[in-house]
Amino acid sequence: MSTSTDEENPAALALPAEDVQGDGRWMSQHNRFVLECKDKEPEVLFVGDSMVQLLHQYEIWRELFSPLHALNFGIGGDTTCHVLWRLTHGELENIKPKVVVLWIGTNNYEHTAEQIAGGIQAIIHLVNKLQPQAKVVVLGLLPRGEGPNPLREKNARVNASLRTALPRLGTAQFLDVGSSFVHSDGTISHHDMFDFLHLTPSGYAAVIKPLHELLLQLLEETPEEKTATLA
Amino acid sequence: MMNMDESNPAAVPMAALDIQGDGRWLSLHNRFVSDSKGKEPELLFVGDSLVQLLHQFEIWRELFSPLHALNFGIGGDATQHVLWRLQNGELDHINPKVVVVWVGTNNHGHTAEQVAGGIGAIAYEIHKKLPSAKVLILGLLPRGKNPNPLREKNTRVNEFVQQALPTLPWANFLNLDDGFVHSDGTISHNDMYDYLHLTRAAYARVCRPLYDKVKRLLEEQDRMVS
Ligand SMILES: [Ca+2]
Repeated sequence: MSTSTDEENPAALALPAEDVQGDGRWMSQHNRFVLECKDKEPEVLFVGDSMVQLLHQYEIWRELFSPLHALNFGIGGDTTCHVLWRLTHGELENIKPKVVVLWIGTNNYEHTAEQIAGGIQAIIHLVNKLQPQAKVVVLGLLPRGEGPNPLREKNARVNASLRTALPRLGTAQFLDVGSSFVHSDGTISHHDMFDFLHLTPSGYAAVIKPLHELLLQLLEETPEEKTATLA
Repeated sequence: MMNMDESNPAAVPMAALDIQGDGRWLSLHNRFVSDSKGKEPELLFVGDSLVQLLHQFEIWRELFSPLHALNFGIGGDATQHVLWRLQNGELDHINPKVVVVWVGTNNHGHTAEQVAGGIGAIAYEIHKKLPSAKVLILGLLPRGKNPNPLREKNTRVNEFVQQALPTLPWANFLNLDDGFVHSDGTISHNDMYDYLHLTRAAYARVCRPLYDKVKRLLEEQDRMVS
């Protein structure tokens, strides 16, 4: 499983999103995140695309993640390239999170599974470099589409390559949260994904349980810097 | 006044292209059609992600489920996509008294007048298939954190639609913008988390006047029937 070196891998190039629609929303969201880094001290940072962004809109965020002092830097439509650009332009400054949760790749339509896995690893390397104290959790790409389709296979290949690569890398944990969504007849229910891509509140509930447990464990493992007791 | 014929691309029905490759748009349309076979909705919402996301928040269950409402919203849809859907089965098995239409902000590449024409074509299509239904057209909301051309365009679309209303006696217009744009010209992410889509709090706020209007229209319809 050769991962193309970062330079040639188009999914590992840091690129800002093009303001195609003409109202500057992507940059406005990025600038807001950079500002939030200045006023806040998150213990957990979520970064990614609409999977991350929509999680922030539902009650479950307030119940499970606000109490963990989590920040949400999700932007709908983002690819690995956009996240790489954002993280190298201020979104990892003025903060010192204990955990970074990364959920990205399903929007990398022009890239192969191999390139996407490489793009995700480039993000992990970047986070390890800029936030060496932070543990990185990479969430597996979810299946999509009502019935079987090429994008499901591609996302599964990304997950397979991350599952083998990350343990060797040793600086990020892979958590596949999507296995329960495809039913025995190969379909995904709109009760889990309202448009066969984005999760409903109940869809998130299934995904979030294992993630929340992992976060609690990771946060307990890292002693409070200020109040680290030797007892 | 509103250009609703073939020369207006926003008024020519067109199925969305499956660019991404997982067939989601058609799966959603097909589910709406099959869903409508088993149901007797009094109220139908049709449009883009602003309609679709409304369905994901509790406010829908609180206010609109009790009114036996169906939600045919698809994120990313423009007027021509909604028109195609309505002409290809979504209205064939139901007879709602009120149809709420919220679409047009995604019509990139079309002029404000073309978008208004597209909305008009949708209203006419609904009236043709459901002659006794009332149509409620929701105004396009402002977008973007700071002033930008799309805000002005959406305002002009709303003006064109309102100018055409007298020619559509069975259609109504409601603008849910209760001051999203602050005095400094910005929109808050507490109202629109990405400066386009509404937060749960904003939905809860705008759904009050929307609910009141829909309720009134339904009551008017009931009086006409009884
Ligand atoms: Ca800070």
